[in-house]
Amino acid sequence: MPPSLAVFVGGLLGTGLRLALDTVLPHADDGFPWSTFIANLLGTFVLGWLAGGLWTRPSTPPWLKAGIGSGLIGSFTTLSAVMGAVAILDREEATALAALYLGVSLVAGLALAAAGLKVGSSLAHRPMPTEVTDDGATL
Amino acid sequence: MSALVIAAVLVAGAVGAVIRYLLSRAYPVRPGHLPGGILVVNVVGSGIAGAVIGLAERAAVSDDLRLVLVTGFCGGLTTFSTWCVETIELADGGRWRAAILNVLVTLALGIGAALGLYLLVR
Repeated sequence: MPPSLAVFVGGLLGTGLRLALDTVLPHADDGFPWSTFIANLLGTFVLGWLAGGLWTRPSTPPWLKAGIGSGLIGSFTTLSAVMGAVAILDREEATALAALYLGVSLVAGLALAAAGLKVGSSLAHRPMPTEVTDDGATL
Repeated sequence: MSALVIAAVLVAGAVGAVIRYLLSRAYPVRPGHLPGGILVVNVVGSGIAGAVIGLAERAAVSDDLRLVLVTGFCGGLTTFSTWCVETIELADGGRWRAAILNVLVTLALGIGAALGLYLLVR
């Protein structure tokens, strides 16, 4: 499958999942955007887990990485909704909540990306040594 | 929400994702450069979202079109997960300055574009 087509299909699914989450967990203009928050953190952990582990294996086809990473997870998570919510919270004079939302999203996002990469690395590709190179320095 | 609107949201999101994919391939993260394609799509998508939210407030854009453009296109174009994971990968590789820059530049330009265009057009 061409990677771009896989990204398109993944994008349909990821956008659909995010739309469903928005519908199940609606929020008021001056409320905390839980649906985007949950989607972003969940997606970030899973992407880190994949990037740190299974995707380092040479047997993982490029179209699958593109379809799941750029397509499904990439479109499930979103930065524009975060920034849009910050603009609306600013209008609602909920500046403190906007700052809190942005700060917690960022700190938790980076922490979950790091945790995902670390947990995923137990599944990482470990190449078998095929030859011992000798540069003359240690042997 | 009609079935047609839902379909339009999904297709718009998928088109946004493909544009992001192609730009991230064309402008990958490189040493000494701003973090490329993902930064551009995140800032542009945040700006479009801010503008459309502002236009929708004075009914220049319908609720359905807002959903297609903001939740669909901008949601698919921008990404949070790749931004976070790439930042940690930069830091893990010892490129702390690039990692910090990736966070700060994306935040500053993203907020600036979304809030600026929102205030400008509403």
